[in-house]
Amino acid sequence: MKKDMGRFKESITTALDLPLDVALDLPKIEIIGDVRINITNHKGIIEYTNDLIRINSKIGMIKITGQGLEIKNVLMEEISINGLIEKVEIIR
Amino acid sequence: MLAIKIWNYIKGYVIIRIKGLTLERLLNLALSKDIYLRNVNRLDSSTLEGTVSLEGYRALEEIVQKLGCEMEVVKRRGLPFFLDRIRYRKTFIFGLMLFIVLSIFLSSIIWKIEIIGAEQTPKEEIIKLLEENNIKKGLFKHRIDKEDVEGIILAELDYLSFIDVRINGVKLIVEIKELDIDPERVDSSYPCNIVARKKGVVVKVIAKNGEALVEKGEIVEENDVLISGVIESENSDEIYLVHAEGQVLAQTRYSHMVETPIVKLEKVETGNVYKQRGIIINGKGIRFLSGEIPFENYIEEVEEKSIFNFLGFEFPIKFVNYIYREVEVKEIKQDIDFLKQASKLEATEEINKQLHKSCEIISRNAIYTIDGNILRTKVTIETIEDIGKIQIISN
Repeated sequence: MKKDMGRFKESITTALDLPLDVALDLPKIEIIGDVRINITNHKGIIEYTNDLIRINSKIGMIKITGQGLEIKNVLMEEISINGLIEKVEIIR
Repeated sequence: MLAIKIWNYIKGYVIIRIKGLTLERLLNLALSKDIYLRNVNRLDSSTLEGTVSLEGYRALEEIVQKLGCEMEVVKRRGLPFFLDRIRYRKTFIFGLMLFIVLSIFLSSIIWKIEIIGAEQTPKEEIIKLLEENNIKKGLFKHRIDKEDVEGIILAELDYLSFIDVRINGVKLIVEIKELDIDPERVDSSYPCNIVARKKGVVVKVIAKNGEALVEKGEIVEENDVLISGVIESENSDEIYLVHAEGQVLAQTRYSHMVETPIVKLEKVETGNVYKQRGIIINGKGIRFLSGEIPFENYIEEVEEKSIFNFLGFEFPIKFVNYIYREVEVKEIKQDIDFLKQASKLEATEEINKQLHKSCEIISRNAIYTIDGNILRTKVTIETIEDIGKIQIISN
């Protein structure tokens, strides 16, 4: 039932041409080159070390691996990470 | 970004180091309490460094205590800390304020009066004149009315052709241009040179005072020194400054050229008239009948009729009549001898305006050249006159 509801929402947003991240409350992950990641609409930090950051979100866990990772900003809505980024994974 | 940085500086921020085991939890708690953390850097598994605002620091202290971590401040940055430090340096603050106040105070005072362009009038005289009218060094800028200063100077020195008073920084600049003045009117207590007012060939030099630098037959250019007021002593190296006086007669030349067309075009009306009507709304015109004007040569007349005129208030809509009168262009050939006479007279009159009143005319010459339709008349007048002009020697 819940899955059907999600699909229904998705088809409506596509039909109305609404931005997906706003309408469906999804996280927005923006990667600039290999030096910066901005994640909007996250749900907290799970783990944070110099070469691994795990961030919770609605669609699962976002796992970022790299070198010299540093949290540049952390806000309720947005988090931005600087450092040499090697891998971004989404673990459901 | 810069604006944010400046804002952060004004609000003040601290760089902190947190030691503990549950650092991720701490970060999430900080998030939920709306504490803005920046530049978070994991130094090792149990240490974390970050930047937090002054307000955020107080809120963070509670969380740190709750989680049993340790927090220490590494650096304090920003205006609040700077002011805190400066509170113990009262003399410094006093000095800073004094500096600012003094700079404003001193830069609103006139410190120098400069006079540009005075050749025949001694600068000291002008400064003295201003001082007598209470305009001197050390006066506040806003108390000087530039037009007033101009008026004071013009009232005393009526031979000035131009005056401009301006305040530039802490200087009051008076710029003047003089007409030639009679030697009798020049204050003879100031040293001066006599310089050439005009180019010419020297005929006679009579130096009453000062040292004549030119001889008979010499060609002098404008502004050459003729009689010098600087006299070197024969016995020693000393220099005396005197008020040079004397006459320098020189042969000078004035010329003027006039161009006149030989065949003159004259317009004669034929009596044919073509009319158009229009309207003008707020200065912009509209023509009702915009056909071609059926004449080749014509004179245009515009008649404006306002609809009503009430106590000087004009209605912005006006009627206009455009009237075109046809003309016939006739070529009239003029008598060359008559034309020569007329243009010679015209040129001579033009030269007479420039002539100095003390001059003696020795020759008058006219040369005519015909170039197609144009008659060129060049009149040259040679005179002998005193070309001396006084120039004050400035220090």
